[in-house]
Amino acid sequence: MVTPAADTTGTRTGRPRAGVTRRDLLRGGLLGAAALAAPGLLGACDSGDSGSSGGGSGGKAAKVRLWTWYTEQEKQWPQLAKEFQDSHPNIVIETRVIDYDAYLPALQAAVSGGDPPEIFAPHVLAIEYGKAGIAADIKAELGADFVSNFFTSTNDEFSDGDKQYALGWMAQTFGIFYDPAIFARAKVDVPETWDDLVEVSNKIKSSTGLLPCVLSNNPGSNGPDFILPLITQAANDPQLVLDLDFGRNNASWKHPKVIEALTKADQLIKQGAFAPNPNGIPDEQASQLLYTGKAAMFYSGSWVPQGFAGSAPKAFVQRYKVMQTPAWSAGARHWCANQAGAALAVSAKSKNKAAALEYIKFLYEPARYAKVMNESNSMPSTHAAGEQVTDPAVKLMTSWLLDGNGAPHILFGKGSAGAATNAFAALIGGKSAPEKTAAAIQAEVEKARTR
Amino acid sequence: MSGVIGTARLRPTARVRRWAVGYLFVLPVVLFFAVFVAFPFLRSFYLSLTEWSGFTSPRFVGLRNFESLADDPVFWKALRTTIIYTAVTTVLQTVLPMLLAVFVNVGWRGAVVFRTLLFIPVIISFVVTALLWQLIYDPNFGTLNQLLRAVGLDALVHPWLADPATVIPAIMLVSLWQSLGFFMLIFLAGLQGIDQNLYEAARIDGAGARQEFLRITVPMLRTVTAVVVLLNLINGFNTFDIIYVMTGGGPNRASEVLGTYLYKLAFGTESGATPSFGYATAISMVVFALCVVTAVVQLRISRRARDVG
Repeated sequence: MVTPAADTTGTRTGRPRAGVTRRDLLRGGLLGAAALAAPGLLGACDSGDSGSSGGGSGGKAAKVRLWTWYTEQEKQWPQLAKEFQDSHPNIVIETRVIDYDAYLPALQAAVSGGDPPEIFAPHVLAIEYGKAGIAADIKAELGADFVSNFFTSTNDEFSDGDKQYALGWMAQTFGIFYDPAIFARAKVDVPETWDDLVEVSNKIKSSTGLLPCVLSNNPGSNGPDFILPLITQAANDPQLVLDLDFGRNNASWKHPKVIEALTKADQLIKQGAFAPNPNGIPDEQASQLLYTGKAAMFYSGSWVPQGFAGSAPKAFVQRYKVMQTPAWSAGARHWCANQAGAALAVSAKSKNKAAALEYIKFLYEPARYAKVMNESNSMPSTHAAGEQVTDPAVKLMTSWLLDGNGAPHILFGKGSAGAATNAFAALIGGKSAPEKTAAAIQAEVEKARTR
Repeated sequence: MSGVIGTARLRPTARVRRWAVGYLFVLPVVLFFAVFVAFPFLRSFYLSLTEWSGFTSPRFVGLRNFESLADDPVFWKALRTTIIYTAVTTVLQTVLPMLLAVFVNVGWRGAVVFRTLLFIPVIISFVVTALLWQLIYDPNFGTLNQLLRAVGLDALVHPWLADPATVIPAIMLVSLWQSLGFFMLIFLAGLQGIDQNLYEAARIDGAGARQEFLRITVPMLRTVTAVVVLLNLINGFNTFDIIYVMTGGGPNRASEVLGTYLYKLAFGTESGATPSFGYATAISMVVFALCVVTAVVQLRISRRARDVG
C-alpha cells in the first residue's frame, strides 16, 4: 500500500519522486566516505608521530614513550622528563603510568600492534620479548660495565645466556614488618627462626589479644612470595626453585625439599604463626591491620614503606621496624624473597631507540637514581644507590640483597605461576596436605607445558 | 511494499540510483558492524585455531586448543562454576526484582524512597562495589562478621571469601545487591503498562492477590521477563570484574569462571612468560557458543509460551 505517510522519499504532496537528486547522491557518498575513513582516523589517534619520527630527523624531536605501572615515582616521572628535555631539546619524553591491572593488556596490545613504547616495564615477559626481538639486548647496547652496576639477582632475572633484556628499576626483598611497641607489651624479642615465630605469635595473642603476623593471600599471588623462599630455605639453594620453574634438570615439584617446605608452611599456619584465614585478607587490609594496631606483624615486600609513608599515622611510621625472613633453623641463612618485579626494557625496533637509551642512561646516573629511589622510599637495583638509601627499613632490606640472601619468588615458566599459586592457596586454607599440594602443582604444570 | 511499487514505476537508471542511495545509507552501519563486530569475531575464531603468544606470528594448530580444553580440569571447573553462577544469579535476579517491583508498584507511602535506595547500587561501578564488599567480607574485622558478633551470632562468623564453599554464594549476593534495582526498574516499567481493567475484572470474578499475580501479572510481564532473563544469562556467562577484583578466581580456583581463567591465560601470569592468546581465545569461543545457545533456547521457550498463552 502506498500512502503518503509510508512514503519516506516523497515530496510534500506525498507523491513518490521519480529518482534521486544529485544532492542525495552527494550526501550518501559523503556518509560512505566518512565511514570508510573512520578506521583510518581512529588509527591515527593512537601513537602520534612516534612510529615515524626518525630519532629527531628532519628537525622533528624524537619522541620517547615510557610506560610503567610504577606509581611510586608518580611525582618524579614528570620532573625527570623535564630535566632530561631541558638538556636534550631534540627528545620529547612522554610518560604514562598505567594502573597495574590495566598495564599488561595495554602493553600486549601495543606489542601485538607492532608499536611498543620505546621504554616499557616488561613484567614477566622480558626474556620472551627479548628472544622475539621486541626488547633490546641492554648489555650489548649499554655495555657489560653499565650492567655490572646492578645487583646480580636482578640482572639474572632478565638474562638469557649472554644477553640481558631489561634493567631492574625497583628491587625487592621480603621481610616481616612489625610494631616494636606491641613486642614490648608482649615482652617478646624478634624471632630468629620460624619456630621462634610460632612462639612469639602465640605469646602476642595470649598477652595482648591482637592478631600475630598477618599474611595476605587474596588474591593468591602472595602465596608464592611466602612458600617459594621456604623451598630455597629447605634446600639451602635458590637453584631448585629456578629448576622447578623451568622444568630443568628433571626437577619435579614432588621433590623432597618441596614437600619439606610445604610441610613447614602447613605447620606454621596450623600452629598459629599467622592471623587466621590468609586467603581472605587482601594486601591493603593486611597493611592496615598493622598500622592501625590490630596486628603485631605483617609479612610483605620492600614496597611497603612507600605505602606506610603515604597512609599510616606518623607515630607508626617513626616507630615500625622490619625483621629478616625467619631462618629454617638457628644459624641458618635468612633466605628471603628477592628479585626486581619492576624493571625497564627498551624497544629493539623503535626508530628512537638511541634516544630511549640516552634517557635510560640519564635515569640511572648514580646521584639522580639514588635521589629518585630515596624520594619514593623505593629499593634501588644498583650497588651505588643501594649504599645511599636513607629510609631505615629500605636500607636494612637492601642490606639483605648485598648479603646475597635473595631467593626467587617470581615464576616465569609455562603454567608454573598458575599451578603454584592455586595449590599454595589450598594448603594455606587447610584444604590440601603437603604431598597432595606438590603433586597437584606438578600435574598442572605438566598439563600446561603440553599446550 | 511501498518501495517495491515505487521502484517499479521508475526508469532503470533511476532505479539503480535509488538502489545505490539505499545502500549508501546503510553502508556506514554495515562498515561499523564489519570493522567492530564481524572482523574481530572472525579474527578471534581464527586465533582460537592457532598457538599465539601475542608477539610472534600465530601458528595454525587446527582444533588442538579445543582438544586441550577437553583435557583441562581447570577449564571444566571454571565452566561448571560459570554455569552454576549464571543459573543461580539468573533465577535470583529475575524473581526477586519482579516481586520487589510488584511490592513497590502497590503505591505505598515511602515507595519512592525505597525504590531510590534500591537503585543506588546500580550507579556504583563494579570495581568499587567489589572493593566495598571485600571489606564487608573481611574474615577478621569485616562488617559482616562484626555485625554477627554484635548480635550474638558468633557461630555464624565465617571467612566468607577464604572458604571455597562460601566464596561463590558470597559473590552472588554482591551481584544481586548491585543489579536488584536495575531489574526492578525494568519490571516496574512493565507493570505500569498492564491494563488495570484486567485486575478490576479479576477482582469482580473473585480473584485474590495471589491469583492476580500468577494469572495476570506474571503472564503480562512475559516479554519483560524474557529480556531480564536474557540479560542475566549473558551477564552471567560473561562475568569477570566482580570476581577478578574480589578474589582473582581463588582460593584455589574456587571462584574461577571462564572469564577470569581466559583473562589470566592471555594477560596474567597463568601461562608464565608466554601468554596463551590462542588457547584463551578458544575459551572465549566457548563462552560465545554458550551465550548464543542459551539465548536461542531461551527466546524459543519465550516465544512458545507466548504463542500458547
